[in-house]
Amino acid sequence: MSIFEDMRNKQEELLRTERLPHVWCPGCGIGIVLNAFLRAVIRRKIDPEKLVVVSGIGCTGRTAGYVNVDSFHTTHGRAIPFATGIKFARPDLNVVVFSGDGDLFAIGGNHFVNAARRNHDLLIIAVNNFTYGMTGGQHGPTTPTGAYTTTTPYGNPDRPFNIPHLAISLGVPFVARWTTYHVNQLQNSIYKALGMKGFRLVEIISQCPTVYGRRNSMKSPLSMMEYFQKNSIIKPNASFEEMELTYNGKIVVGEFRVRTNIPTYEERFDDVIRRAQNEN
Amino acid sequence: MTQKKYERKAVVKILEDRCKGCWYCVNYCPTKVLVISDKMNAKGYHPPEFREDKEHVCIACHLCELYCPDFAIFVEELK
Amino acid sequence: MKKGYLKEGNYFWSGDIAAAEGAIAAGCRFYAGYPITPSSEIAERMALRLPQLGGKFIEMEDEIGSIAAIIGASWTGERAMTATSGPGVSLMNENLGLAVMTEAPIVVVNAMRGAPSTGLPTLIGQGDLMQAHYGSQGSYELVTLYPSTIQETFDLMLHAFNFAEKYRVPVMYLIDGLLAHMYESIYVPPIEEIEKKIVHRKRPKEGQLPYEPDEDLVPPMPLIGEGRNIHATGLTHDERGYPDLTPQAQEKLVRRLNEKILKHERDIWIVEEYMTEDAETIVVSFGGEARAVKAGVDLARKEGIKAGMLRLITIWPFPWEYIKKYTADFVVAELNYGQMYHKVKEYAETPVHKLTKMGGEIHTPQEVLKKLREVSQ
Ligand SMILES: Cc1ncc(C[n+]2csc(CCOP(=O)(O)OP(=O)(O)O)c2C)c(N)n1
Ligand code: SF4
Ligand code: SF4
Ligand code: SF4
Ligand SMILES: [Mg+2]
Repeated sequence: MSIFEDMRNKQEELLRTERLPHVWCPGCGIGIVLNAFLRAVIRRKIDPEKLVVVSGIGCTGRTAGYVNVDSFHTTHGRAIPFATGIKFARPDLNVVVFSGDGDLFAIGGNHFVNAARRNHDLLIIAVNNFTYGMTGGQHGPTTPTGAYTTTTPYGNPDRPFNIPHLAISLGVPFVARWTTYHVNQLQNSIYKALGMKGFRLVEIISQCPTVYGRRNSMKSPLSMMEYFQKNSIIKPNASFEEMELTYNGKIVVGEFRVRTNIPTYEERFDDVIRRAQNEN
Repeated sequence: MTQKKYERKAVVKILEDRCKGCWYCVNYCPTKVLVISDKMNAKGYHPPEFREDKEHVCIACHLCELYCPDFAIFVEELK
Repeated sequence: MKKGYLKEGNYFWSGDIAAAEGAIAAGCRFYAGYPITPSSEIAERMALRLPQLGGKFIEMEDEIGSIAAIIGASWTGERAMTATSGPGVSLMNENLGLAVMTEAPIVVVNAMRGAPSTGLPTLIGQGDLMQAHYGSQGSYELVTLYPSTIQETFDLMLHAFNFAEKYRVPVMYLIDGLLAHMYESIYVPPIEEIEKKIVHRKRPKEGQLPYEPDEDLVPPMPLIGEGRNIHATGLTHDERGYPDLTPQAQEKLVRRLNEKILKHERDIWIVEEYMTEDAETIVVSFGGEARAVKAGVDLARKEGIKAGMLRLITIWPFPWEYIKKYTADFVVAELNYGQMYHKVKEYAETPVHKLTKMGGEIHTPQEVLKKLREVSQ
């Protein structure tokens, strides 16, 4: 069996296949991200018993229900602190948060910034589809200015987060952004991130043809994919301005920050325990 | 332009019940051996069909597998 | 003597310290919290003590994160706790519901202060009794305990953790602004004696599904990292843990979540009956307030008024049998506009009277006496 066939078979084992087909719409990018994630896990030879996937609420939040490992579908915005509790209690586990842009950066934004600052040993897979998919396509914290959503019928007056830059400002050791078009680069970045420690963020610009694309002249799954294909620019040392996403504009992708050896919260707490026990 | 001749390397199995007819596989297959079919699955989607001919053979690049959001594709390599 | 363990003996502690030490003695090794008066000293004590025992302490960015973290930790098998006050409980309530729905054992301490809103941060209140039970959306049962002395604040923690583990349910541990900051002398027994009484959660049998209940309606709990591929969700789910969004699944699950507690209410009920045997008037009270009530009852007895006190240590599930069994009049003394009054009224076949104060201070024994005189006229 070739390594690709072997990987594809192992991928099936990592899926709760009895629950497929999944709930996501035709052409929804979340499945592509999950596909890449599972391949990276297999390549890293991570013991499935030591892998935990935590999701919040949303279309992306449904991911936890499809991975055949210990998996938690928590409350809206709270995947990161839930995962923090697991990781802090059991530092030997690989804990991955797999959630949507609204979940992680709007309602869960405070958890994101603080967990990033503390440098918990967590991998964050952030699926950015520019909208709240699950609730029908309202505007969210990543909707580009000018975009049409059900709550910005005259175009979005709001300004989106520059997610990679936000993470970099918090000292996050691994920050990457790809689109679902970049299936290989995406898989490689997740693979790389799985081999590192600390708070690691992979943002994936993903298509929600059903409720976002439809209102922004990209009705079919393929038309969104074509937008990603035609407008992506790989630029690892991009500036703040270049990383910003604009309405139907360029998408700067790449691995923006890779730092090893920044102590994690869990490691620093080991020191706390050592000090507490020596003083006694 | 003459079609480059590729060596046949694999056959593609589609789990039709999982397919949702997004056609990423059809679009991104470099040798165009996946085509939109008239078949319809239980959910009403048209799964692709694996159709090789003299000019179009599968080169086992596995791209279709990587793009499939629905885990519906198995590329089986020929030994 | 194991490292970091307390020695047997007498200690002079506040309620906050007693709650923290009681939790540690009961096996708690994971704490996540966000400071708030009058519970902050619990966090401070945990920060000092847990690392000595190799335990984990983390100060989170808010109460929502705190409760999320302890639910996560609980799934790894930890006896996990957080402590807060009313404003924090309000923030925690959504995830309290997650703990109910996913059946994760946790202990949440609420040091009640004067409320609503920011209210009286440093002073006693008892306005969160209904919130303790009905704070999160949906129809569910949980366990709520409420000690009234510093000794009891320490001792009762063992029950709190044991109930949480035994019934896979969140336990609300109420104290109040008075208990939290008041110092009393307490006795700590040898830790081994406490540890002998620790009840651990049941573990699933070979092939038993994660939400497949035993006869007691409680499903044994699988843990993260055992290769069981747990799936837990706040969505209505089947015994495998998979979402099942049908009225039938909802009926089955929500009924069981309620009944697994109600079926065992007699095991969970803890009350103190003080001079109730011949009492013609029984004052129902709890927490810091019960200290004044007891003194008031003593004053009344001296005047020949046949008074007694029923102190609810278990608040939820409500110990209704202890109301039903008496034919005396009831006075419900509480520091709110009247909350448990309604529960007592639901079961009493005799007149029920209110003795309320909005918080900030407990009743004086004289105020209790005055009420007892009025009622026994
Ligand atoms: C406390 C709370 N508020 C609101 C909601 C409703 N809600 C569910 S999912 C969601 C947005 C999800 O957006 P995102 O995280 O971007 O995920 P997507 O569906 O786009 O993948 C909202 C607002 C909720 N479930 N809980
Ligand atoms: S609504 Fe959008 S994000 Fe949700 S499943 Fe459909 S395409 Fe995907
Ligand atoms: S493996 Fe490559 S060549 Fe073969 S069908 Fe898939 S995409 Fe086409
Ligand atoms: S990519 Fe997958 S889901 Fe889409 S058409 Fe091809 S087989 Fe079907
Ligand atoms: Mg989204």
